[in-house]
Amino acid sequence: MADVETLSHSGISVHDLKEAEDFYCGVLGAQVHGAVNFVTEDTLKGRSVHQSYTLGDFLFALVLAPDFMPMPPADKLMGVNGFRHAFAVRHADFDATLARLRSAGVPFKGPVGHPEKGPFGESVYFKDPSGNFLELLWRRDENVDYAKAPQLDVG
Amino acid sequence: MDASLDKQKTGLTAKALSHLVVEVNDLAVAGFYREVLGFAALGSDMIGNCGPSVALGAAEGGLLVLAKRDARPDLSATGVHQAYAVDKASRATIVATLKDRGIEVHTYKEDRPAEEADNFYFADPAGNRVQIVTRDGAAGGPPALDHAAVQVANMWWAEVFYTQTLGCAVEHRVGWKTADYARAQLWADGKEDMAPGTRRLDQRYSSIVNKKAMPRVNLQIYLRLGAVPFAVYLSNQHFQEPPEDLLAGTPRTGFAVTDKVLDDTARALDTARWPHQGPVAIGEGPIARALYFKDPGGNFIELAVRRDN
Repeated sequence: MADVETLSHSGISVHDLKEAEDFYCGVLGAQVHGAVNFVTEDTLKGRSVHQSYTLGDFLFALVLAPDFMPMPPADKLMGVNGFRHAFAVRHADFDATLARLRSAGVPFKGPVGHPEKGPFGESVYFKDPSGNFLELLWRRDENVDYAKAPQLDVG
Repeated sequence: MDASLDKQKTGLTAKALSHLVVEVNDLAVAGFYREVLGFAALGSDMIGNCGPSVALGAAEGGLLVLAKRDARPDLSATGVHQAYAVDKASRATIVATLKDRGIEVHTYKEDRPAEEADNFYFADPAGNRVQIVTRDGAAGGPPALDHAAVQVANMWWAEVFYTQTLGCAVEHRVGWKTADYARAQLWADGKEDMAPGTRRLDQRYSSIVNKKAMPRVNLQIYLRLGAVPFAVYLSNQHFQEPPEDLLAGTPRTGFAVTDKVLDDTARALDTARWPHQGPVAIGEGPIARALYFKDPGGNFIELAVRRDN
């Protein structure tokens, strides 16, 4: 067994880096972290073009896909096979987040309620400009400190 | 990088290209520009910080300055070029003259939409790549200075400098899209002829991807300083930058600006602690005031307030 500590980062492949950056930074509030293959040295080594960002405490890279990826039709908001990234916002900020999606013209499905005994409150489902499936949710357990309450049943 | 960067229009706004300083091994190359493009001979050493040079008059007050330099880098495989705009009649004349002289003319597919319609390239006798673009409403007679293209070793830093420090707008970018990669494949397949410096074959350094020599597009951004386009390419090879303390050298791109833009830019460079020379007042010649600096790729830039505007 690999002794995994935690999720380190994700790479999200996109068809347009600039459009993706505008979306993840401008709509979701990500911050630029770094860039790779914007220098001659990288080019000489054949490194793929990507930029890294932080969204909350989550580190991810936007990677320019070298080939077109199959993506679901525009009106299919929940992807094809369910693979997604889900980002948590505070319950108190959830409505404001949805308003931000609406004003940015991002179509989404939901809010969809989750079982009350579970850790999740409500989710909305949408896609980035390249068609990657994303989810935003608030969590019922957002104030639970699991380190201090390891016995808690979150369902 | 801020998401609203491309919408930023304030900052460095040029009225036009004032002068392009191009290096040649022999100042007699001026004869080629006079005879083939119809530029007017204006005189020697008219523009400061060029070394021995001759100035040629383009349309709309633009100047082409040929600066003599014996040991010049070979830029033939790079994206570096100077572009001049002519009307359709002048275009035909130039093509015929080049043909008479046995000079090879290249027509490439273009990455920048504004140049797709009609353009061609050739090399001057010193090996500098020259592009001719056809512009409706361009004056007959000698061409006007249209744009310059330079190369940098760090595109990220270059974009931050031009957009955030100077406040230029990005008109177009190449290499940020999967579609650009698909187009690079067309080039590799021999279906699209692209200008040197715009494409490359990636030599993978890792065994993760079991593919060799993948066709790729070189990153390019097309900036706008007001109405003046300026192209920046990521170099696909190492190149020698000028000495760090040399701030006014050749080759150089000179933008014509107002006093206010020149002073605002000097202040912006001070704020960014970015080295610059000037503003300096110049006693005679076509330029009254100048500000010199280099971009992060070591490209010499001059902002000039023209005396004759």
